[in-house]
Amino acid sequence: MERDLDNANPTILSVSQLPSRRRKGPAARHGPDSRCDALVYPKHHWPFASSSSPSSDDDDGDDADEPVDAQDVYDLISTISDPEHPHTLGQLSVVRLPDIHLSPSPAELPSPDSLLTVLVELTPTINHCSLATVIGLAVRCRLEQTLPPNYRVDVRMKDGSHAQDDQVNKQLGDKERVAAALENDTLQRMVDKMLETCA
Amino acid sequence: MTTSPPPPSAAAPQKQQPTSATLTPLPPFQPDLYQRAWSSIPHPTLPLLATAHAKSVTVFSLATLTKHSALTGGHARSVRTAAWQPARGSGNTKRLGLVTGSFDATAGMWSFDEEEERGLEREVRFGGNSEEGDDDNDGGKEWEFNLVLEGHENEVKGLAFSPGGQYLATCSRDKSVWIWEDVSSGEGDGTEDDWETVAVLSEHDGDVKAVAWCPVDLPNAKAGARRGNYSADVLASASYDNTVRIWREDADGEWVCVDVLTDHEGTVWGLQWETKPRDDGKFPRLMTFSADGTIKVWSLREEETPDEPAAAEDSNAFRSNFGALPNTLRRSLREEWDCTAVLPKVHTRDIYSVAWSADTGLVASTGSDGIVAVYAEVDESEALSDKSGGEQEGEDVVMTSPSPQQQQRKPTWKVLGTISSAHGPYEVNHVTWCKRFDAGAAPERRGREEMLVTTGDDGVVRPWQARIA
Repeated sequence: MERDLDNANPTILSVSQLPSRRRKGPAARHGPDSRCDALVYPKHHWPFASSSSPSSDDDDGDDADEPVDAQDVYDLISTISDPEHPHTLGQLSVVRLPDIHLSPSPAELPSPDSLLTVLVELTPTINHCSLATVIGLAVRCRLEQTLPPNYRVDVRMKDGSHAQDDQVNKQLGDKERVAAALENDTLQRMVDKMLETCA
Repeated sequence: MTTSPPPPSAAAPQKQQPTSATLTPLPPFQPDLYQRAWSSIPHPTLPLLATAHAKSVTVFSLATLTKHSALTGGHARSVRTAAWQPARGSGNTKRLGLVTGSFDATAGMWSFDEEEERGLEREVRFGGNSEEGDDDNDGGKEWEFNLVLEGHENEVKGLAFSPGGQYLATCSRDKSVWIWEDVSSGEGDGTEDDWETVAVLSEHDGDVKAVAWCPVDLPNAKAGARRGNYSADVLASASYDNTVRIWREDADGEWVCVDVLTDHEGTVWGLQWETKPRDDGKFPRLMTFSADGTIKVWSLREEETPDEPAAAEDSNAFRSNFGALPNTLRRSLREEWDCTAVLPKVHTRDIYSVAWSADTGLVASTGSDGIVAVYAEVDESEALSDKSGGEQEGEDVVMTSPSPQQQQRKPTWKVLGTISSAHGPYEVNHVTWCKRFDAGAAPERRGREEMLVTTGDDGVVRPWQARIA
């Protein structure tokens, strides 16, 4: 890499330290990666969704009626690669399970069209990380592509973690800017590269 | 029945104030676009609707509710918005013009050729009964890309023609508003487009999301329009910096910011002027809507005597933007716009679009939460009696010995109706009032009855029948 890293020595967690659902019981599957499958390849792919409910995937029976929860969201985005380190956002603790909030709880949705807000708070490895916006963009992009269309994704910097929190949060919350950013070849390439490790 | 005489200001006899709105979805325009569509702009007179999506614009016929034509190949990135060009002054050219604003940092001027336009008129006349044999104007070849307006550094997010069509304003993420003037000769067949930049306004601190010209051709606008040293045109711009700015052209031909409206607490996604003529003769109001989930109404503070010097000039510490101007100029440059109403809160997320009907004065809003809401401005006294009087016929409501104060018109905004999940689970990006020309409307009401049209992330452009009771 030709430029200096913003943070040359991040703390890295090993994959086995990352939160997963493995202990949850008989319905559990085999770790974060395969858990993603139903979500990575949703039947109703945005924006061509049918009106069927988000939980009607039938490729795997034991998942059939389980709504997306925080762990699922974590699994979707923790495998995104950091733009400057050869590690995932999960390993770098940029994405943390306790910082993912769903509201209301997916189980309480009155109808499949009812809105559900997913709030993801990111913790950049250091507080002036210039790539915070790109990381946020990748996270938002990943979730919008994979979650059902009634999920509204809000990506923010965790309070105090980033020097220009407000600016970054505002950009990430602006649909028009996000759409335009994804038509920018350079940014699109960066995001694509970060998402390569997600499949 | 009210026995008291109508308040003096309410000259037009309003038979009955609206109390409810019922929105019924009509079949969407065909075909579905299957991708995010940003906005749908109805032609001011013809039964046409221009929908911006991806790198193109699809024009739908309001008579058949199907695709009429398409504008493709002019932009390298998404088209965010479009505006129909007003018919030019006295020139009788039948040319149809559309301008598109794109994320590729340009605005494009397009025209539709004469021959095909006769096809449009035929469509108006037959109103959707004869669409079967009317396929000759299908396809995308009739629109010609005439001119590209370059200058913005990045995404063009909004644009608008001034009422007379002399000016075009464009705005961009580069924080600027550009004003272009039509310098076409107007001779010959009028098909030559020639536009010059006359101003670059760079006072916003963030993306400029939208621009809108005041409808200064309205009777009530004329009095206020040529105030002080200004020419008639008034432009408003809405920004990511949470503010709205009002711009006017001074005697020297300079476009200056005459007020900054700072009440919003989030990106101001757009603005709408009051295009229904006001019977109280006051200057048109401005409605702004924001990521903060609110819709606000702004009124120009109109002085008793037009040239009265503003006494408290120096105590008003804001307007650092006028700091460079000589003192003598300051007072004439400033206007005071006050937030005079906030619409009842309905939306829980960003409000992306609001439409203010020129016919009925009704307002519709929509946004990220997928809700479409309809509002009316009603007299407060009436609104109060509604609460006690229940739902029966408005005629029965008795206004018991109204005090003089109550007789004064105290308009207040009220929600007439809402519909949620207007586009299923998707965000709704745009809403507009639009005349009905389709076969579903009774023939005598075609071209007069208004409907709503919403445009969503699902690529659906959906008309709604709005029944106001």
